[in-house]
Amino acid sequence: MADLTADLGFIKLKNPVIPASGTFGYGGEFLQFFDLDLLGAFVMKGVYTDERGGNEPPRIWETPSGLLNSIGLAGPGAEGLTKIIKDVASKTSTPIIVNVCGGTDEEYLEVARILDVMKEVAMLELNISCPNVRAGGSCPAQSSSDTRRVVKLVKENTEKPLIVKLSPNVSDISSIARSAEEAGADAISVVNTFLGLALDIEKRKPVFKNFFAGLSGPAIKPLALKIVWEVANAVSIPVIGIGGIMTGRDVLEFILAGAAAVQTGTVNIVEPTGSVRIISETLELMDELKINNLEEIRGGLKI
Amino acid sequence: MKEEECRVAANTIIQGRYYLMKIESAYISEKSKPGNFVMVAVSGSNDPLLKRPFGIFKIDPPYFYIYYEVVGRGSKLLASKKEEDRVMVVGPLGNVFPEYENENILFVGGGRGIAPLYFAIEKYSGSNNISLIYGARSKEDLLFTEELKKFPLKETAFYTDDGSGFTKGLVTTDIKEIINRNGINVTFSCGPDKMFESLNEEIGSLGIRNFVSLEAFMGCGFGICYSCVVKGSDGKYKKVCSDGPVFRMEEIKWQT
Repeated sequence: MADLTADLGFIKLKNPVIPASGTFGYGGEFLQFFDLDLLGAFVMKGVYTDERGGNEPPRIWETPSGLLNSIGLAGPGAEGLTKIIKDVASKTSTPIIVNVCGGTDEEYLEVARILDVMKEVAMLELNISCPNVRAGGSCPAQSSSDTRRVVKLVKENTEKPLIVKLSPNVSDISSIARSAEEAGADAISVVNTFLGLALDIEKRKPVFKNFFAGLSGPAIKPLALKIVWEVANAVSIPVIGIGGIMTGRDVLEFILAGAAAVQTGTVNIVEPTGSVRIISETLELMDELKINNLEEIRGGLKI
Repeated sequence: MKEEECRVAANTIIQGRYYLMKIESAYISEKSKPGNFVMVAVSGSNDPLLKRPFGIFKIDPPYFYIYYEVVGRGSKLLASKKEEDRVMVVGPLGNVFPEYENENILFVGGGRGIAPLYFAIEKYSGSNNISLIYGARSKEDLLFTEELKKFPLKETAFYTDDGSGFTKGLVTTDIKEIINRNGINVTFSCGPDKMFESLNEEIGSLGIRNFVSLEAFMGCGFGICYSCVVKGSDGKYKKVCSDGPVFRMEEIKWQT
């Protein structure tokens, strides 16, 4: 049987499948469906220092094979989250990643510091790419200098491995990824959602109060795959591929494009046991294609 | 709750655009209580991507029933399912109507909002004094009236907006008289938002216990995507799927 281990350098995961931030709650919600130990790791929903209510509804809109969301990072705040983390950690040995948000540099730093002292947290994922919290979908990941500054600041103040989650809504993803790497990122996760627009023709209004929203789901897979390939070629730190993964075949495509592991997103919303199905499909397909381990095909695109 | 591939045991037109689907699941049919709902995949593909929420209409283990109106693409696809087809179902989901004994309960159903109420009426009518107000746009939309009359109900009042087939009026038209006449101290209601707004105006301050079962467009159905929120009277958002769908009327911030 094929070896599913995913090697991120600073940590080895038992398999490459990591449910993504915002699509997996705080993990505990999935215990009724499956054992969290089956996962490579999982990312908790993004957190700010203070409790947040999120955006005014509507918050989702279905598109062909996709989903637009404008949730707005509702959550309990970092201190509130520490209790949730301890509770979930007592029920699984799978590495817990926490998605760190901030409205300012200071807030990113404060959230990271609160989580840094928690032994239950294996890694931090720096969310500099949420499109749903600032006007027009802007975020630090849209500029190399902002990316560099925030990553450096957080990295210098945490002992935890730092994954930096980047936005696809940029003109030169490679240079932004390199800025994150130079600033000390241990890994890059790409992509966050693509900015999209939903319109209501009857009312002649945008569907979302925030105007733009983030597109996810299988509709974005080819776009995400392209960016993963670009980023994997631009940096030497591991890349975690994200974007519309629904099957084991999708996982192997992202690995082939250069990802060391993947995050599953929308699938967790539409099919609660989807990530577990994807893990077994990945294993089956590796056996069928006689791939012994992921390193054998990682970035090994024949061109 | 579980995610299960289930057999469609029947999928029949009740009337016009209204369907009743009988689905086989020992687990869901045995675990479900009035108020619970299920998420059902309407296609076996990525398009449409989201499962759709349906209140549980009736149980008859190993079967449960959902009652739905064909209104859009999702429900149209569901209507095309045949006996022996398979559907992915997640459930049972959400909270339930509180269980009472020896209370005078009034059920208020608007349109297809009768679905979760039917289950509750069936279950609670033996141990409580039940009355029912049920209204819809026209007689084509007011279904199961004959079946509902078979339950031991103290008083029933059926209304249509256009006066076809039944008394012309809204569910709120005679509600205060019905509440007084039957000594009602608890209400369970389900229907469109507009109905809840009027209900809140009419009966929200009578000092009785009012429970509402809300309908919402949902992402996951089990509380992780934070999509189906409504504003609570405390100013905080509540998730219809996992904080509800059943709420005390005063927990929700109504528009009026």
